[in-house]
Parts: sequence; structure tokens; C-alpha cells
Amino acid sequence: MTEINNKRYFLYKYTPIFLLFTSILNEIDFNLQFKYFSFNFAYILIFYYSLKRDGGIGYILIFIAGLFNDVINGLPMGISSLSYLLLSAAAAYLRNITLRPNLIKDWIFFLFTILILNFITYSYLILFFNYEINYFNQIKNITGTFLSYFVFSYIFKFYNDFILGKFN
Amino acid sequence: MEPSRDDFVIAIRSVFLKTGNKQKFSLLSLILFSIIFLILSNFNFKIINFNRAIIKEIIYFSSFVVNVPENIIKNSFSKVSNHFYYYEDYLMTQNQLQELRSKDLEKKIITYENVELKKLIDDYFIEDQQAYAKVLIDKESPFLRSIVINKGSRNGVKAGMAVYDDIYLVGKVVEVNFLTSRVLLISDINSKVPITIQPLNVQGIMSGLEKASGQLQYINKEELISNNNQKLIVVTSGIGGIFRSGIPIGEIEFMNISNKKKLIVNFYRDFSQLKYVRIASHTKENINIDQSNKKIFQKNNNKISVINNQAEDIKLLKQQKIINNEIQIKLQAENINLKKILIQTQDQLRKSSKKVIENKDKNKNLEFLELNLIYGHKCRKTLFRSNLFKVNTDEYRACVLRKGLIKRN
Repeated sequence: MTEINNKRYFLYKYTPIFLLFTSILNEIDFNLQFKYFSFNFAYILIFYYSLKRDGGIGYILIFIAGLFNDVINGLPMGISSLSYLLLSAAAAYLRNITLRPNLIKDWIFFLFTILILNFITYSYLILFFNYEINYFNQIKNITGTFLSYFVFSYIFKFYNDFILGKFN
Repeated sequence: MEPSRDDFVIAIRSVFLKTGNKQKFSLLSLILFSIIFLILSNFNFKIINFNRAIIKEIIYFSSFVVNVPENIIKNSFSKVSNHFYYYEDYLMTQNQLQELRSKDLEKKIITYENVELKKLIDDYFIEDQQAYAKVLIDKESPFLRSIVINKGSRNGVKAGMAVYDDIYLVGKVVEVNFLTSRVLLISDINSKVPITIQPLNVQGIMSGLEKASGQLQYINKEELISNNNQKLIVVTSGIGGIFRSGIPIGEIEFMNISNKKKLIVNFYRDFSQLKYVRIASHTKENINIDQSNKKIFQKNNNKISVINNQAEDIKLLKQQKIINNEIQIKLQAENINLKKILIQTQDQLRKSSKKVIENKDKNKNLEFLELNLIYGHKCRKTLFRSNLFKVNTDEYRACVLRKGLIKRN
């Protein structure tokens, strides 16, 4: 039983980290070659696990994942780290003030957060680095991320409840 | 308002400043760290570039590991799809192979039949001598178009032998030396080759015209022009016995020169590019038909005629069988119709007999009612006539029908 519990604990602890780094390293931005659909998987993962777990994935790991993402996408070092950390901060704040969790409220808060984060990120990129941004793609990505959160929250919940079970 | 502000401050503080066993750095310190990173990268700082290079190296190795499952899935998917593709391709190839095999068999049968038929008409040639030769340079030729080959009388080359490139006719040997020979190409104006135009089966003579074409002589051109939609092939006719029949030469092209249609033979081969040629002579296969063979031939002929007669009889019998079958089918159909009519008639008869019985009953009733009116009082039981019968009884009815009681003598 202890061995099984150890394995479960291992999965409980490292699955989100593995997913985060795989999605970043594999360049799975989930821009799945669909013309009108794309979403940011890292945002969903970080927000969900920061909201549901005390400490989330681990702020240092999130910071490193952000640096990796910057290098892969050719962005200025630190921008993704900042947005990921702010996202996890928002999720942690929501966790602290929430007494009765509600998916719809989380969902709306997630939309609000990613809108602000994208605003900060792209403002910084435009103002200081003269980046040219395709606003249609960004709107598409934000909408896709917002809509996908609902689906992924159920998938993660299912994974946590039925596969890991005990550690939630 | 005061307590809610406190709550907000506590929540924010908890988020940004909380550290623990798992988290060595607070969120705020990491955010500040990333902002510093951003500012430094804005100024293109050396440390940042160095960090970027290190991360790039890490990403290079780790992405290789991370991509392994994806690559495995991709490769296995492509393998499976390739397998299906190859399987379909294999099936198609097998079908094509079968078709080609059957075609090949057909070709062999046709060739064999052709040989047999040619033997029958005494027009079957076999190549008794053949040699391969290399084409040498030809400059001092009395002919317009001829070549010199490196085989002569020493190699058994004789004047008049046909020269081929693959299966196509090139020309004929006109001069034989000890080591070399001269070949007159069919594109030469002096070359006269008896030809047949297939599939119209028109005979004629072809002589050279240009490097890669020839002209037709002694031919009804209008007949060919009227058939200009067809692909007309020129082959040797075998007349004259120099060339055997059926050697492909070229195709006919219709040309409009000053509003006149002209026929030109385009050769299959470019004679300016000849390197090696085959020289061959042909002889007829000797068929010795002696007396015994003649008898066997006669017997076989008789057998064939008997078999033909039998085949005709069988054909007639088959036709008769077909007719009989048709008649049988018609009779069966008629039989079914008649059976239907019989059943209908029987039904009608049954209905009619029922009606007759009903009518009889009605008549009896009517008769009874009439008699009842007249003789009812003679049979009806009353207070004073108690020996009579009650109404609606069988005895009463019998009494009425008897027209009253029977008088006893």
C-alpha cells in the first residue's frame, strides 16, 4: 500500500510540473493549426494548480518555465516568468479569499486575470521592444484559453479525483 | 470597511510574502527578479545573454527527450499509414500483374497462332544468321544516307541482309568487305522497301525522304487521307523476300503543304544516333509434307469437319432447348391463370348454390305464409279446439302445409 501511495504522491506532485515543462519545451502552445482556435495551455495549468493547491506547482519552477518559454519563443527574458507569476499570484489570492469554491466564479476571475496579464505583457512588448502584435490572433488565443479552462478544469478534476484520489 | 481592508491586506500579504518548506523564495521576490531580468534584457546585458545561451543548451537537450514520445507516436502513425498505403499499392500491383500476365499469355497465344498461320501459308521466316555490329563513321559514301559497320564477310555478313536497331528496321547491307560492310539506311532516297500500312492493309513502296522520314510510293493516298483519324503504322510487307514481313518502320503523319495533304513516314528510330545494330538474314522454315503427313492432314480435316457438324447440331439442339424452355414457361403461366379462373368459378358456383338454397327456403316460407292465411285457423289451438297445435311449432307448420288436419276415413 505504501508503495502505491508513494507512486500516487509522485504523480500528484510531478504531473503538473511535467505537463508544464512538456507543453513549453514541446512548443505545444496548443496552436493546433486551427484557423480560428488556439489556447495557452500553460496559463490554464498554472492558474488551475495555483488555485487548487497551496503553493501550486512551485513558484521557482514557474519562474524557470517562464524563462524557458521566453527563450523558445524569442521573447525578452523574464516577460513570461512575470506573467506566469502574476497569474499564480492572482490564483493564490482567489484561493485565500474564497470560502466556497465555484467553477463559474473561478472561470470569470481567470478571464479577468488573463486579460490584465496580456494587457501588461503586450504593452511592455510594444512600448519597450517595438513588437508587432497580431491582435486578431491574441483575441483568438485569449478566447480559446478562457473557453478551454472550463474543459480542462473538469479534466484535471477528474484526474485528481479518480486517478490520484487520496491526496486531494 | 475597516475589517474588509484588513482581510484584503492579509490575503495579499499571504500571496506575495509567504514562504515555506516547499517555497524558498516568496512570490514577490521572484516577480522582482523577473522584472530585473526584463530590465536587463532591455539593455542587452551580458549576463542575460549568457543565461539565454545556457537555457538554450538545456532546451536543446531536454526538448530532444521531451519530443521522444511525440516522435514515437508520429513515426508509428506514419509507419501504420505507410503500411496501409503499401498494402493498397500491393493489391493494385497484384491486380496489374495478373492483368499483365493474362495479357502476356494472350500475346503468346496470338504469336503462336500467328506463327502457325504463317506456316500454313508458307510465309514463316526464321533468323538463320545474326550478328551484332558497331557503327563506324561514314564520310565517303556514294549514297546519301548509309553507315559502315565493323562486321564483314569474315563474320558471315552477306549483301542483302537486313539491319535492325532493336526490333526496328534500319536498312540493308549493300556492300560487304572482309572486315566491314556498308548498310544502306531506309532514309536514303535509293532505298525502296516494300511496306504494308496497318490496319488498312494497304501495300506500297517506301523510299527515304529526310533524315527521320520517308515517302510513300505507288499508293492510293486518298484512301489513307480519308482514314486520317486512325493511327497508321508502317511495317514491311515481305514482298520481294529481302525483308521478312511485319518489321516495324514508323508511323504515318499527315501534313498540309500548300493546301495539299501529304503523307510522310516518321521513323521510329533516329538513324543519326545509331551505335550498335543487329544484322540478320531470314530463311523460310522448311515444312516437308510427305504422303503420311498428307493422310494425317486429311484425317484431321475429316475429324474437324465431323466436329464442326456436331458443333452445329449441338448449337441447333441448344436453340431448340431454349425454345422449349420458353414454351414451358408460357405453358406454366397459362396453367397458373387457368387455375385462378377455376378457383373463381368454383367460388361463384358455391355462392349460386347457396342462393338457390336460400331461395328455396324463401319459397317454402312464402308458401307456408300463404297457406297459413288460408288454413291457419284449421290448425291453431283454441279454447274449444284443444286437439289442434300451438302456433310456431313444427306440428302446426306441418298441419298448415297439409292444409288442415288429415281427415280419417
